[in-house]
Amino acid sequence: MRQALVAITVAIAAVPMLLAVAGLPRPGDAQAPVHTHVAARYVAEGARETGAENLVTGVLLNYRALDTFGEVMIIFTALAAVMAVLSSAAPRRPEDDAPGIASAIPISPVVAFIIRLTAPFIAVFGAFVILKGHVSPGGGFQGGVILGALLMLLSLVLGRGLERPLLPVPLARWLQAAGPLAFAAVGMLGLALTGALLGYPAGPDQQLLRELMVIVLELGIGIGGAAIILGLFLEMRGD
Amino acid sequence: MVHWLPLAAFVPLVAGALTPALAHGRPGLARGWALAVTAFCIFATAALTRRVALEGPFSYAMGGWAAPWGIELRFDEFSAAALFICVIMLLVLCFSGPYVRRAVPAARITWYYSLLLVNLGGMIGFVVTADLFNLFVFMELVAVSGYALVAVGGGRTAALAAFKYLMAGAVSSALILFCIGVLYALTGSLNMADVALRLATVESRAPVLLALAGMTAGFLVKAGLFPVHVWLPDAHAIAPTPINAVSSALLVKLGIIGLLRIFPLFGAAGVVSLAPLYEALAWLGAISILAGAFFALFQQDIKLMLAYSTISNIGYIVLGLGLAGELAVTGASIHVLNHALIKAALFLAAGAMIHQSGYRTLHDLRGIGRVMPWTTLALLVGALSIVGLPPTAGFLGKWYIALGALEAGRPGFAVAVLGGALLIFIYFARMLNAFYFRAPSHEEMLAVREAPASMLGPVLLLAALCVLGGLFGRWPVLLIAPGVSRLVGGG
Amino acid sequence: MAGLWGNIDYAAFVVLFCIGLYIIIAKQNLIKKLLGLNIMETAVFAFIVTSGMVDGGTAPIVGAGATGPFASPLPHALILTGIVVAVSITALALSLIIEIYRQCGTIEADELKGAE
Repeated sequence: MRQALVAITVAIAAVPMLLAVAGLPRPGDAQAPVHTHVAARYVAEGARETGAENLVTGVLLNYRALDTFGEVMIIFTALAAVMAVLSSAAPRRPEDDAPGIASAIPISPVVAFIIRLTAPFIAVFGAFVILKGHVSPGGGFQGGVILGALLMLLSLVLGRGLERPLLPVPLARWLQAAGPLAFAAVGMLGLALTGALLGYPAGPDQQLLRELMVIVLELGIGIGGAAIILGLFLEMRGD
Repeated sequence: MVHWLPLAAFVPLVAGALTPALAHGRPGLARGWALAVTAFCIFATAALTRRVALEGPFSYAMGGWAAPWGIELRFDEFSAAALFICVIMLLVLCFSGPYVRRAVPAARITWYYSLLLVNLGGMIGFVVTADLFNLFVFMELVAVSGYALVAVGGGRTAALAAFKYLMAGAVSSALILFCIGVLYALTGSLNMADVALRLATVESRAPVLLALAGMTAGFLVKAGLFPVHVWLPDAHAIAPTPINAVSSALLVKLGIIGLLRIFPLFGAAGVVSLAPLYEALAWLGAISILAGAFFALFQQDIKLMLAYSTISNIGYIVLGLGLAGELAVTGASIHVLNHALIKAALFLAAGAMIHQSGYRTLHDLRGIGRVMPWTTLALLVGALSIVGLPPTAGFLGKWYIALGALEAGRPGFAVAVLGGALLIFIYFARMLNAFYFRAPSHEEMLAVREAPASMLGPVLLLAALCVLGGLFGRWPVLLIAPGVSRLVGGG
Repeated sequence: MAGLWGNIDYAAFVVLFCIGLYIIIAKQNLIKKLLGLNIMETAVFAFIVTSGMVDGGTAPIVGAGATGPFASPLPHALILTGIVVAVSITALALSLIIEIYRQCGTIEADELKGAE
């Protein structure tokens, strides 16, 4: 009964939204303001001005770099948030969990073997996606997630309750801050070179420097993202 | 230096990310680091405020790309709120030292300071950006850190309160993002001034109406207006008191500032008129004033009482915006700043009492005025301010809003303003009567001592600012007057 | 201006948005509510990306030999940021649910309300 009431209310709320989207320009129309205004310059000049053939990377890391910086900060904040909610001084043992949480899922040796076998290939692919992100589909976030997923798989294989964590905690904290640090470094460099925070040198002979700055940012985002994803996983699991 | 503008938001964010790395295992260092960074932000925002007072609004193109191809940061008169945000955050950080040692599990303290720095950077970025999507990004930064800080104290109900807060916040954020997408599909741009220009030539009415209504609704949920306030009382009751101060004084004001940012977008649009929206806002504000004050009367827990008082005061601000005259909008804007000071003072004073005595309800805190005279004095000053007695800070905002109601020919709303003040007076009188004149309910109350200096200092300073803000209230009014005229004239 | 049938893509995403909203309000299990939130957010992202599409277009990568109308890169950048935001909120919400389960032993909203 209650669910029916909620369904009716939501359906009524949907009507103004449907009317609204009916009034929008048709998606796919090449004359829509989406394509004729800001995006036209991105498409026409983007590769030349930003040094990135992947225009999405050009928009993310050059034209709208502040948004990407905010995004990197949000990933970090997710880690800080999960730590603030879950961490406690005493290490949790599997016996502490409430009944129902499957604490120690034994991993089959076949799965463990396959993971160990494919891990190097996955790592190379992740690194490739990060580094080639400015000329082909990919980028720091995508590669970072691939590497993060790989690290999660490996931590499943290695099991819980290691006597010492694989990475000393201070180092892990610095790695997790790699994204914002990369932005700070490149931002200050841009400030020194061009007089605008997060700016890029614009001359045609500085193409290499531009690409280098983009790669540093991608690496920072990728490594930071991977470290944060692993940190999230380990914290939620209770290590 | 012109680069203060992006650095004011950039530095606290990077500093927040570095806090766990730098201060691993040393919470005292984390607090010192946070204090130092916030002091830097006060310096930067003060320089920016001085510049806008002398020269008027100015912009900064991120990365050297001019708007609308890049992100533009624009510091106008309303962005001066950043200075208030930094000052209040500094005092909250100072207060947090002894408080969190008792209220927050030790492993989480470094993350607490990291999240507060991120929160600060997000708030500063929110008030200085002139790009719609950038606004969303900073809003989410503030939101995620805010949700976590509600639950940082641990305890049985903290996580659930934080979860409800997260749901309400995330749904409103999704709605706001949807409306940003609609505006983008209509205009092809994300820069606020550019969108305003292009909306004027759009012909189809329904999408513009939806964008306006959706964004307003989203920001009102974040502001905690009645009836979409339901996340606020739980979040305030459970969170550690310094976080309550940040939530009530600062976070809900971001919803209001969001409204101030989006109304000019639609002002020039020929297809919609803002008048029905303003009418609805005025009514919702008036209802919120009375409902918030009414619910506060029934609360025994001091933090819940203050939380409902926040809902009531947000009602004042929204009423002022809805009346849309120059006096009323000035009153609303001034009250955004003054209420931040007053609520921070009240919450920190209450926090000091809770910290020292261990009790939270009006009944249990009886007689505390005798053993913690300075803190209770600060509470008294804050109470006088929030009722709106001259010459304290709360008077000016409410006076302008009431005058604005009379000027617009709506005396009923002026009655609502007065009625709210009367209700507030009743519950604060009841509270102070219990604190000063009643005998203590518990033996231990006689042994309670005054709060330590790092907690008492911010409390007294904020109480003093409540009085100073009233005595020197003309200055903020003069500062934001050009911004208000632009807002009222264009919309 | 294209009418509802011309913008059928947008209409589908609005329906998805409302389905997500329904799940958040109507379902009691906290994880289901979180899934409803994810559905809502995904609907918004799909809406934004679709607005950047162009007839007969390809991905906005201007390498050697890439021709033809390109989709607008701006919505892609926007939703990349949006997806990261959604992931962060989901991570925090999941950790809150873990903490709720550890403290209260249940993650059904009606049981939690009764226990408060």
